[in-house]
Amino acid sequence: MELVLDTVRKTFGGVVAVDDVSAVMPQDKITALIGPNGAGKTTLFNAITGFDPPDRGSISFGDRRIDGLPPWRVAELGLIRTFQTPVGFTTLTVRESMLAAATPHFAETPVGALGLSRRARDHERASAARAEEITAELGMSDLLDVRTDELSAGDRKLLEFARSLMAEPKLLLLDEPAAAVAPANIGRLSQLVRRLRDERGLGSLIIDHNLSFLMQIADEVHVLDRGALLASGPPAEIAADPEVMRVYLGEETDGDG
Amino acid sequence: MTNPIFWVGVLTLAMIYASLAMSLNVESGWGGMWDLGIAGLLAAGSYCYVILTASDPDLGMRFAPGLSMWVAWPLSALFTGLVAFAIGAPALRLRREYFLITTLAFAEIIRQLVVIQADLTRGTVGIANINRPFDSFVTGRDYNYVLLGIAVVTAAVMYVVTRQVGISPFGRTLRAARDNEAVALALGKRVNRMRIKTFVLTGVLIGATAPVYLFYIRAISPQLFAPGITFTVWTALVIGGLGSIRGGLAGALVLIVFTEAVGLIEVDPAHINILVAIEPFLVGLLLVLVLRFRPDGLFSERSSFGAARRSAGDPAGDAARVAGG
Repeated sequence: MELVLDTVRKTFGGVVAVDDVSAVMPQDKITALIGPNGAGKTTLFNAITGFDPPDRGSISFGDRRIDGLPPWRVAELGLIRTFQTPVGFTTLTVRESMLAAATPHFAETPVGALGLSRRARDHERASAARAEEITAELGMSDLLDVRTDELSAGDRKLLEFARSLMAEPKLLLLDEPAAAVAPANIGRLSQLVRRLRDERGLGSLIIDHNLSFLMQIADEVHVLDRGALLASGPPAEIAADPEVMRVYLGEETDGDG
Repeated sequence: MTNPIFWVGVLTLAMIYASLAMSLNVESGWGGMWDLGIAGLLAAGSYCYVILTASDPDLGMRFAPGLSMWVAWPLSALFTGLVAFAIGAPALRLRREYFLITTLAFAEIIRQLVVIQADLTRGTVGIANINRPFDSFVTGRDYNYVLLGIAVVTAAVMYVVTRQVGISPFGRTLRAARDNEAVALALGKRVNRMRIKTFVLTGVLIGATAPVYLFYIRAISPQLFAPGITFTVWTALVIGGLGSIRGGLAGALVLIVFTEAVGLIEVDPAHINILVAIEPFLVGLLLVLVLRFRPDGLFSERSSFGAARRSAGDPAGDAARVAGG
């Protein structure tokens, strides 16, 4: 299965934020999306996930058109995104946030709240075990009962990622997953992203400014500049492209990521 | 100075407000929908109950099926849920203060409808001597204890139901969507649909409490459902702790007992109007003091959902984990 963008365009007033971008992103590969600040990366994420539908062009996932669908429906189809600013469910604990991400619709009704359904209870128990497993892999076990608004920025970032794994993703869309994360934990993060691809066939589409992190794990890199696709290819090829490095590094030195 | 019957009445009223505050907490505390239309929903439930149980042709009501109170009670709850749906479907397109103002307006519309539809509701004249359960077995002053029993059972049911909603996966997703709607949507939560269901649930619970309120008041007229009652319920909930499980119960007890106790202060009859005038001031003072010393109310949401205490940004924890990894 693939995520296919076909001449996707998004403008805000007179500004072209995404300029006729076409790309194919396999669901079981790690795809990196890089570019200087303001290149339209997050706008593209918002277009794909239904938060800010494109003005033109089409987006499809597998054999389904997804442009124009509401965000919850896009998520239901398996495209699970994280957010650049990791605010999260502020008053929920890490455990609650993980479980909330996994709760099925049939348990999310007032009648379901009575807890009479065996199916819902089994689901809840399985989710609880999975939440502990995932947080353990990210080294967050001791934070399970800490409220989200009391986590450090780096831990909140890891929670964004961990939470998205609870929502039965078919493709992860990670918006700067490594920003503010402690170096030791970035190692765990890239290990896990790679293992998800290799063992479960779960790919990721990743925006980040940490090039050493991205170039190590990506199968394919797309470079955006001023809304348009500048280059696409395997990391080694992109790293050797003088035009890409000029555009990207030229801007990055004065950006804060 | 006062007889126990007085306090039985105060406790009955407190239990009724507790039931309303706990119902409000589901949508406002956990759902984040700040509803100022409690009076309207209470009016819908109350008038539904009164009309369905009316049978006396002397009252001159166009529709008086004279149903048994045990049939009319659940029907009133369902009808109030329906009214909540009719209000919620459009109002929930709005957020926060816009939602708040809209619900307040709908409550006033309901009150005006009651006034206008006089051949159905007897308008501003109202209806007195509303029948009460078991009053053929227990009469006179002793009935107050029966009424207290009914109010306590109602509050207990509301406590059990709302607590179950709060601790369930449904309640958890409600709180999640309240904290961060974008993240909830990104995880596939049908936020709007869930909010409408929650709004309807609160309507059903308020409709179920409405008959008990009528048993206590014994007479119904549109003035009963002025916005004041909404603000009393809100005050009780905020004192008790918005978003906590026990808050509505505790807050209503404190607020109603306090308010009634103020009325007991003995003053020179010449100064009675001064006491009446400062009563809202004293209630306001109580609210300010509670919020000054317990900003989350008597019970906090945190204490209800078992989050560990941890000082914000504890650097030792991070350092230890990085070293360990």
